[in-house]
Amino acid sequence: MRFKRAVLLSVLALLMLASAFAQKTTINFWTWRPEDVEVYNRLITTFETANPGIDVVQTAHKSTDYNTILSAALSGGSGPDVFQSRAYGGLETFAQSGYMESLEKAVPELKNFDKAPLRGATSIKDGKIYGVPFASQTLFVYYNKAIYKQLGLSVPDTWDQFLANLEAVKKAGLQPIANGGKEGWTLEVMMGAICPNFYGANDFFNAVVAGKTNFQDPRFVAAIGKLKELTPYMPDLYMGVAYTDMQSAFINEQAAHFIGGSFEAGYFAAQNPKLDFDVFAAPVAKKGDSHYVSVYADGNFSMNSGSKNKDAAAKWLRFLAGKDTGNAFIKELKQVSAVPGVDTSPSPYISKVLSLQKFNTPYLMLVGFRYNQPTGSVLIQAALQGFMAGKFDAAEVARQVQEGIATYYEPFKKK
Amino acid sequence: MTTDLRFRGSRPARKALILLIELAFIAYALLIFYPLANMVLSSFKSTRDILRAPFSLPSSIDFANYAAVWIGKGFARYFLNSLWITAASMVLVLLLGSMAAYGVSRYRFRLSTLVYMIFLSGIMLPLKAAIIPLFIIMKKAGLMDNPFSVILIFAAMGLPSTVFILSGFMKSVPMDLDNAARIDGCSDWGIYWRIIMPVVAPAVSLVTIYNAVPIWNDFFFPLVFLQSDRWKTLPVGLTSFFGQYSTNWSLLFTGLSIAVLPVLFLYIFMSKYFIRGMTAGAVK
Amino acid sequence: MSSKDLRKGLWISLFVLPGLALVVSVILVPLFMSLFNSLFAWKQLLRQEYIGFDNFAKIFGTEPYRTRFFNALGNNLRWFVATMLVQNTLGLLFGYLLSRRIPGHGFFKRVIFIPVLFSIVAVGFLWGLYLKPTGLLNGFLRLMGHGELARAWLGQESIATFSIIAVNIWRWVGFPSLVFLAAIDNVPVDCLEAAHIEGAGEGRIFVRIILPLIVPAITVITILTIIGSLNVFEQIYTMTGLDGGPNFSTDAIGTLFYRTAFGSVDSGNPEIGIGSAIGVVIYVLTFGASILTLATMGSKEVEL
Repeated sequence: MRFKRAVLLSVLALLMLASAFAQKTTINFWTWRPEDVEVYNRLITTFETANPGIDVVQTAHKSTDYNTILSAALSGGSGPDVFQSRAYGGLETFAQSGYMESLEKAVPELKNFDKAPLRGATSIKDGKIYGVPFASQTLFVYYNKAIYKQLGLSVPDTWDQFLANLEAVKKAGLQPIANGGKEGWTLEVMMGAICPNFYGANDFFNAVVAGKTNFQDPRFVAAIGKLKELTPYMPDLYMGVAYTDMQSAFINEQAAHFIGGSFEAGYFAAQNPKLDFDVFAAPVAKKGDSHYVSVYADGNFSMNSGSKNKDAAAKWLRFLAGKDTGNAFIKELKQVSAVPGVDTSPSPYISKVLSLQKFNTPYLMLVGFRYNQPTGSVLIQAALQGFMAGKFDAAEVARQVQEGIATYYEPFKKK
Repeated sequence: MTTDLRFRGSRPARKALILLIELAFIAYALLIFYPLANMVLSSFKSTRDILRAPFSLPSSIDFANYAAVWIGKGFARYFLNSLWITAASMVLVLLLGSMAAYGVSRYRFRLSTLVYMIFLSGIMLPLKAAIIPLFIIMKKAGLMDNPFSVILIFAAMGLPSTVFILSGFMKSVPMDLDNAARIDGCSDWGIYWRIIMPVVAPAVSLVTIYNAVPIWNDFFFPLVFLQSDRWKTLPVGLTSFFGQYSTNWSLLFTGLSIAVLPVLFLYIFMSKYFIRGMTAGAVK
Repeated sequence: MSSKDLRKGLWISLFVLPGLALVVSVILVPLFMSLFNSLFAWKQLLRQEYIGFDNFAKIFGTEPYRTRFFNALGNNLRWFVATMLVQNTLGLLFGYLLSRRIPGHGFFKRVIFIPVLFSIVAVGFLWGLYLKPTGLLNGFLRLMGHGELARAWLGQESIATFSIIAVNIWRWVGFPSLVFLAAIDNVPVDCLEAAHIEGAGEGRIFVRIILPLIVPAITVITILTIIGSLNVFEQIYTMTGLDGGPNFSTDAIGTLFYRTAFGSVDSGNPEIGIGSAIGVVIYVLTFGASILTLATMGSKEVEL
């Protein structure tokens, strides 16, 4: 008898287990941030505790392969239920191909989001919102505080002071700037950080987007030219220095500056907790000018329109649009969360970034010129590589960019 | 043989020449061995040591990195995936390839040349260029992110050369063998499986290596068709690993060693087969 | 039709059809689909109207496609020429010397073939680390007191492609070496000995006897080099990235095709029509060049 009961019980247990499995909905969730896997895992645990019926399975892809893999998966009819999507032009492609669900209804929290980050999640074609913006990014200069203290340097205000600081670091036998040029996008970031203060930030941005001026504007050419003045302070053979080499140099305190985006801070801190760093907005031409920083919506969380678990996916998205996620972004990832009303006081770094955003200008190519081929980014990245390697001058950079964009950009054609 | 370059008994000028050639080969062997040795040595060093003293020896041999990469970073899974996907593809290649080779080489029929040509055309067509339509086909077949898609493609990729090589061997087997077997009441399948296949077994082993090595190493198709981590093969897994731990050179060298060393060990014991197999298509 | 014929037909079908079906559906149908797709306009991933050869006209004549395409094709040509001149010449030399049974030839033969077995991805990543500004190669140059020769091997436009080709030669030179070795070993010994006894010198024997007799091997290696050069992808992907940087100096048809078909890193959108057209061009070039080689080399073959 006992044996029979044991069998019965085990069968029952198995059945219960099976039904537990059967009831669980699995949400596949993709990011391009392998660096942030741990943080997302903690968020997922919080979410799953509150929603016991849903399993979120995270996959992080290398950021340079992400678009390819994602578009392959989506056009193949598979792909994740919820995924990080690029902002602006990167969103447009997927939204207009019908791979994304518009989210106004599913995620009511979006109503409270700021206009600026939402711009990166909105299709310019139909005006619908296709993503939950997660962070805004700011481009500026990181510096090693310990090195500054050791050499008695202070945060530079003008370009000349900046160059003097770089010279001092070089004299001390350290690497002044970590940046290299093997990957074109790091050069575009450098342009985004340095150049707005020389091309006239928003005045130029608005004029060029409207077609009232073009990229061969002397202001833009002169601003590009400024980048060349930094090459004596970049690493040996800087054209061979890749993004990860740059990160290593700054993390290991071999380099005093790193020109980059606000998205780096979390990784820096995690890789070397002892690293004492802060940021400043890129220097200006003359004393008294405002320090502008380029700002852009980094990306969104979007829903696959072909998802079989849209309800569960919506729940996860609402969680990603909520305070838990916002706090995690600020505290753990050290990023400026797009979630409205999150308290930034626990993080002096975020408060600093927000204060720098007081004078902000859209990140030129990403916000304005990534909707058609060849995108402004493709053009400027390649041209900057030629320029920084000394192959041609700033006027040629401007000419290449202008010619490439003029092939499709209507406001440029009218002239 | 009189044409051999023997050192002993040669004139001094010739001796010098042989010595020079010998030195050149030794230098080239070092060019092959040193980067590999340095890879393994670096896997035991810290990233800092690799960057500061690239030529130094590791201070200690600690396999902690290997354990971490093999288990923690999923290389065991990538390895197993590569193994079974290669094995499954090879079963298809060998079975369908030998059957087709048997069909075109042992029967006379009107369309045999056409069929043979269709198989052969695959040798010169770069399959990578067809990635867009393949994509659409696999999508319609519901095989995205399914290892079966890659197995089918690998099998198709291997068939042309297999048919080419095996039918060459099968043609040289006398037809009398078939006729005798047929008189004994053997079915056509029996002739293929029990008479011809054993005769061409050496050729089958060649074809196996010829196809298995490129399939094991292929990166492009798994990259496109297998997205989730649980299906990744070794080359694709290595790529995402490089993205993830790009600043930790010590781990990177460990991952590379894990990807490279098993093949090297296998080669040490079977170099003759590898050389004959890999060059099988190019050497008569 | 007699039942015997029918039986035979059924058996043939049984043996041939499964393999044939696979080859047709995975190799030939996609080939024709590429051709078909290349004749249409595409909006993202949706097929639109028939536009004839407009996609091809774009590749060959419209900016920015034209510059990108011919830039990439130029690099494929570099791959072919450099591989023929350096790798295959070196391979012929290695094969010849090994065939002369120099001391240690069995060992050297096995050693030069080792990298042939490795995946391009692993080799590319390994050398990608060694060729960094702070990597092993520059370290070695500085150690030798030749720091002035240190370069950004993969970051300098003028040399990046050749650095990648050099790595590929490191990986692959064992292959032509051993193919040539096998071919030379097949040259009848009495031919060589006769020439030797008649007093013909090394060079003369090589040019007059060996070279003509290994033309089939040379043809095969040339065709494989054509196919390989037109299809380089992994090498570039692992060492300078999908964009073929810096400033597109290492871009090749393979990487351009991939970017066009699937959209590039974080700045491009997929263009199926143009991508399919590039795919067709790859087919035509590979097939055409191979046939041309076969035809011209075939006429030079010597039968014994």
